[in-house]
Amino acid sequence: MDSEHSWSSPQAGHAGTLSPSAGTGPTGQRPVYLPEGAHRRVKILVAGHLGVGKTTAIRTLSEIPTLHTEEVMTDAAAATDDLSLVGLRNKTTTTVAIDFGRLTLPGDKIVLYLYGTPGQRRFLPLWKGIALGALGALVLVDTRRLDASFEVMDLIEERGLPYAVAVNVFPDSPDYSLEILRAKLDLAPDTPLVQCDARQTNSSLNALIELTAHSIARAGEKTS
Amino acid sequence: MSRGQEQRRLLPAYLATGTGGAPIGSTIDTLTALRATGIPLAPYHTSVHQRVVELLEGGSLTVMEIAGYLGLPVSVGIVVAEQLVTDGQLKGSAPVADAAEVAANANRPSKEVMEEVLSGLRALLV
Repeated sequence: MDSEHSWSSPQAGHAGTLSPSAGTGPTGQRPVYLPEGAHRRVKILVAGHLGVGKTTAIRTLSEIPTLHTEEVMTDAAAATDDLSLVGLRNKTTTTVAIDFGRLTLPGDKIVLYLYGTPGQRRFLPLWKGIALGALGALVLVDTRRLDASFEVMDLIEERGLPYAVAVNVFPDSPDYSLEILRAKLDLAPDTPLVQCDARQTNSSLNALIELTAHSIARAGEKTS
Repeated sequence: MSRGQEQRRLLPAYLATGTGGAPIGSTIDTLTALRATGIPLAPYHTSVHQRVVELLEGGSLTVMEIAGYLGLPVSVGIVVAEQLVTDGQLKGSAPVADAAEVAANANRPSKEVMEEVLSGLRALLV
C-alpha cells in the first residue's frame, strides 16, 4: 500500500519521544485519550479577530497540545472576497482553520472543549454548526483594534449565544477604563467585561468563570 | 505546524471515505466520542479508515480530535466515523447523556451542567 507516501511520517524529528506504534498521524502527536468513566463534553467558543490571542488563551487552558483542523467551505468567500481578478472568478471555496484544546474539570465528569473561532462574517456557515450546543462564547478584544471586534460580536448575538468579553491586554494597549470600553463596545449592561492576560492561567480561567456564570443567568431564556 | 510541499497527502480528502456515503440521519457530532471495538476492518475500508481505528485502539477521542491528530477535515472525520460505527469497528457516545435536556435550553447545556462547569473552573484556580 502507499500509505507511507500518502501521509507524512509521524516519527520525523520526534524519535524517542513518541510511540512509534500506530495512533499518530501527520501531526506526529501522541493522542491524549479521554477519561474512561462517564462524562459530559461541553463546547465553549473562544472568538475574536485574527491575532487577538485566541490560540494563546486556548494553549494556556488546554491539557493537550493545541490541535488544528481545517475545513473547506463552499461559497463562503463569495460575498466578501475580491473576485474581480480574472482567473479567481471561479473561486467559491475557502479554507477555515480552527485551533482547539481540551480541559478536563476536577472529578473527570466534565470535559470542556475550547474552539478558537474566526470572527469574520464570511465564516457564517461554519458558525451555524459550531455555535450549536455551545455553553457560550468568550470574545477576546484588543483595545488597539476595537472596531475589529464588532463583526464577531454581531455574529454571536445573531446566534443568540451568551458571551462575555475579555480584553486581552498587550504591552502597548491604550489604558481605557472598563466603563469606557463598555460604552465603546456598546455592550448590554449584563454582558460580562473583564481584563484578561491570555498567557495567564488564572486570568483566562476567570474569563471562563464570568462567561459560565452569565450563561447560567441566561439559562431558560428563549433566544435561538 | 503546516505540512511541507513534499509531505502533502496524495489521497484527496474526498477519496478518504471510499465510495460509500454516510448513512442518512447522522447522529455523529464533532464532540461524539469514539473508540475501537476490536472488530476487524473489511477489505473495502481505506487507509484512512485504518488510521482512525488504529488511533482509537488505545482509548476514546472525539471526532474533532481524530481530525486534528490525523490531519483530516472535520467533515471527512464525521463521515468516516459514521461508516465505522455502522460497520461495527467503532462505538460512539454522545457528548451529553440526555439530548432532550439540551434541546430544552435553546440547544445549550442544561443549567445543572453549567453549574458543574462553574464549580469545576473555580476549583482549578490557584
